[in-house]
Amino acid sequence: MPIKTIVHTLKLLLPALIPSWRFFGVIAPSPRIEFTLLETIEAPSVTWKEFRPRPETISVIDMLKRMFWNPRWNESLFLVSCAERLMENPTEHSRNEIFNCIGNELKQDAILKKRTPYLQFRLVFLDRQDSEIHKRTIYISPVYRYSEDAVS
Amino acid sequence: MSLDFAIRLTEILLGFAFIQQCIEHLWASRNEKILFFPRFILSVSLVLGFETQWTSLALVLLGLLILNRFQGPYNGGSDRMSLLILCCLCLTLFMPTQAAQELVFGYLSLQLVLSYFISGWVKITNPEWRNGQALDDVFRYSAYPASESFRSFADRPRLILIMSWAVILFELLFPATLLTQSTLIIGLIIAATFHLTNACLFGLNRFFWIWLAAYPSILWLQYRIFGAI
Repeated sequence: MPIKTIVHTLKLLLPALIPSWRFFGVIAPSPRIEFTLLETIEAPSVTWKEFRPRPETISVIDMLKRMFWNPRWNESLFLVSCAERLMENPTEHSRNEIFNCIGNELKQDAILKKRTPYLQFRLVFLDRQDSEIHKRTIYISPVYRYSEDAVS
Repeated sequence: MSLDFAIRLTEILLGFAFIQQCIEHLWASRNEKILFFPRFILSVSLVLGFETQWTSLALVLLGLLILNRFQGPYNGGSDRMSLLILCCLCLTLFMPTQAAQELVFGYLSLQLVLSYFISGWVKITNPEWRNGQALDDVFRYSAYPASESFRSFADRPRLILIMSWAVILFELLFPATLLTQSTLIIGLIIAATFHLTNACLFGLNRFFWIWLAAYPSILWLQYRIFGAI
C-alpha cells in the first residue's frame, strides 16, 4: 500500500480516535437523490424520480426486524453521506458510489435496461427558510451507461 | 466490575455488534464481501475469546481497509464509535502493565461520557434546539425519519419541545449518573432506551448495538473510582 494511502487512511481514522460528538448540533440542508433514465446519451432529462423513497408507514414488527437487519436503509444513509461529501469536497469516489448503487438496483430489470440504458442523477437539498421548506437542485451528474460494468 | 471482566464483556458485545454489521454487508456488492467475510470470522473469534489480542489487531487492520474502501465511515457516528472501541480494546490487550491498561480503557469510558455530554452541550447552546425548531426540522425534512408517517411528529410542537428538552437534559446530566452504581445503571438503561428509540424512528440500528458495547467500560470506571457505592 503506498505511503500516501496510509497517511490518508490515518487521517480518516483520527476523527474516530478523537471524536467531536456534535450529533445534530446544527440541522444542515438535507439531500435527496433523484435519478432519470435516458434512451440515448444526448436525450434531455425530463422525469426525475426519488431514489428509494421512504415507505408511508412501518409496522412494529418491521421496526424490530430492522434492529438486526437493515442493510438497504444503512446503504441509503451512506449515500446521504456521499451526497454531503460531494458538496463539501467533491470526489469521484462519492459520485461513483451513488451511481453504482442506483445502477445495481436498476440492472435487475432487463427490459428497463434495454429500453433506457443511460442514467443520470441529481442531488436536491431541502432546507428551511423562515417557516417554509425550500428545495434546490445543487448537483447534476454526467450521464452514465448503467447497463455496463460498475464505474470505478 | 473487574477490569478483566469488563474487557471480556466488551469483546463479546463488540463481536456481536460487528457480526450484525457484517451480515448486512454480506448482502451487498462483491467487493464488500471480500472485506466483510473475514471480519465476520474474526468477530466470531472475538466473541468466542480465541486469541483476542491478535484477533482485535487483525480487526483494526481490516477496519482501516474498510475505512479506505468507503473513504470515511460507512455509517457515520456508529462506525466511528466502532473504531474507537476496537482501537481502545486492542491497545488495552497489548498494554504491558495493568496501569497502562486502565489508562487506555479509561479513555474509552471518558469518550462514552463525552459522547452524551458534548451532544447535550451543543444542543443547549443552540437556540433552535432550545425552542424545539431543530428537532422539528429533523422530523420535517431531514433524511432520517424511517417512514413518511414519522414526519407528522413535526405537527405536534408541544411534544417536539418536550422531546428536545428531554434529550438535552438527559445528555447533559449523564456524567452525574457516575456517582453511584445504581444511578449509573439507571442512566445506562435510559441511554439504551434513547438509542432504541432512535433505531425505531430513524433506522439507526447500528448505533444501538455499538453503544451497548462501550457500557462495560463505564461500569468498570465507576467501580474503579467510587467503589461499589
